[in-house]
Formats: sequence, structure tokens, C-alpha cells
Amino acid sequence: MSVDTNKPTSSNWWKWFDFRARDVGTWAFILNRLSALGLVLYLFLHLIALGQLVQGPQAWENFLNFAKNPIIMIGELLVIIGGIYHGLNGIRIGFATFGRSTPQQKQAFYAVIVVTIIASAVFAYRLFT
Amino acid sequence: MIETKSSPKPNEGMWLWLIKMVSGLLIILFLLIHFIINHMTGSAGGGQLSFREILQMYTSPAYILLEALFLVTVISHGLIGLRAVILDLNPARKVMKVIDPVLLILGIGSVIYGIWLLYAVASLAA
Repeated sequence: MSVDTNKPTSSNWWKWFDFRARDVGTWAFILNRLSALGLVLYLFLHLIALGQLVQGPQAWENFLNFAKNPIIMIGELLVIIGGIYHGLNGIRIGFATFGRSTPQQKQAFYAVIVVTIIASAVFAYRLFT
Repeated sequence: MIETKSSPKPNEGMWLWLIKMVSGLLIILFLLIHFIINHMTGSAGGGQLSFREILQMYTSPAYILLEALFLVTVISHGLIGLRAVILDLNPARKVMKVIDPVLLILGIGSVIYGIWLLYAVASLAA
């Protein structure tokens, strides 16, 4: 494990994206980060979009039609996947941090992944059918 | 090796870290309620509420309070988290002296905007 020499700094920030020699915990961390950045982006887009409400019913109707664009819907699905993962992984980290932890953290992470996949599949089905 | 436990980062401070932990837990609760109400009861398709259904929601003070709490917790958690991501890049102290006020203004501005929006839509509903 070469994280120490691989540690990102402001001068070699691109190391962050170097996926070699990562263990399971690091993947959990990377996915947490990626989902976090995506969710922050979505948060501000969501707040801006909701501004359409004060423009009245027609503006809202136009926005809803715009949001039925398949690209937007794929984006929404990514938000759902990221949100479920980030929440479940957060619960796992919370348990570890505040003392009700299991030593089987790899297994706990795999459980997070399995539940995320199943829940995301249910949402995808609901979203696209 | 990345620690499984969460702990305050250098320069993050105990309070920001604690707010991030507590708001994270609250968000799970608020998000579940927000999602069920806003995205699973609507008739507009694609999990959306129609304009009329939204105004109906905004006649409930409890709903407005929930949305306001959700707004504050999610913006706090998001921006403290974004700051933690930036701190992991080991930025120079003077860089953080620029980033910190920017994040603070963004956070306060977003909360003011969100509260204004809640107020404006609630006024339409009244």
C-alpha cells in the first residue's frame, strides 16, 4: 500500500485520481468523495431550478417538461445512486466513529454496495417506466 | 490506509466536523421525508409535483419548517464537506483565507435565497 508516497498535495493533486494500489476502504472513500461532489453540484442546480416556482404555473410546467429529457433523467438517477450510497456509507462511518462498530468493515462496505445497487434498481425502474 | 472512523481534519476544527456529522444524520431523516412527500406523491410524472400540488404543500407550516431545516442542514453539510475535500489537497494557508469566506458567503447566500423562495411560494399558496 503506497498511499503515503501517493498522498495528494496541491502540487501533485492529480495523484487523487491514481487508482493503482487502492484497498477496499480507499474505494469506499473515493466513492464517498465522488458522490459528495455530485450531490453538492445537484444541490445548487436543484435550488436554482426551484426558483422557477415564483415565475408561476406556466414556468413550472415548462421546467417539468424540460426535466423529462432523458439526459436530465439519467442525471437524476445518478443523484439517486450517489445519494443512497453517500447516506448508507455515512451510516457505516458513523457507527465506526461513535463506537458501535463491527471489525468486518469490508463486509459492511460490500453490504452498502449491495443495498445501493438494489435500491437504485428500484428507483431506476420507477423513474423510467 | 484511509481511516474507517471519521475525525476532524487538520484545520477543520472540532465544531465544523461535529456539525458535519450531526447534519449528516439529520439529512438522512429530512431527505426521506422530503423525498416521500415531494417525489413519490406527485401526479406530474417523473416523480414531480404539479404546481397546484406544490402550493397545497405550502399551506402546511410543518412542511415549510421541514423544508427550511432540510435547507440549512444540507447546505451546511455540503459546504463543510466541500471544504474537507479542499483541505485534503493540502492548500496553502493563504488559499484557505480566500476559500473560507467564499464558502461562507455561498452558504449564507444560499440559505437566504432558500428561505426567500420558501416565503415567496408560501405567499403564492396563501
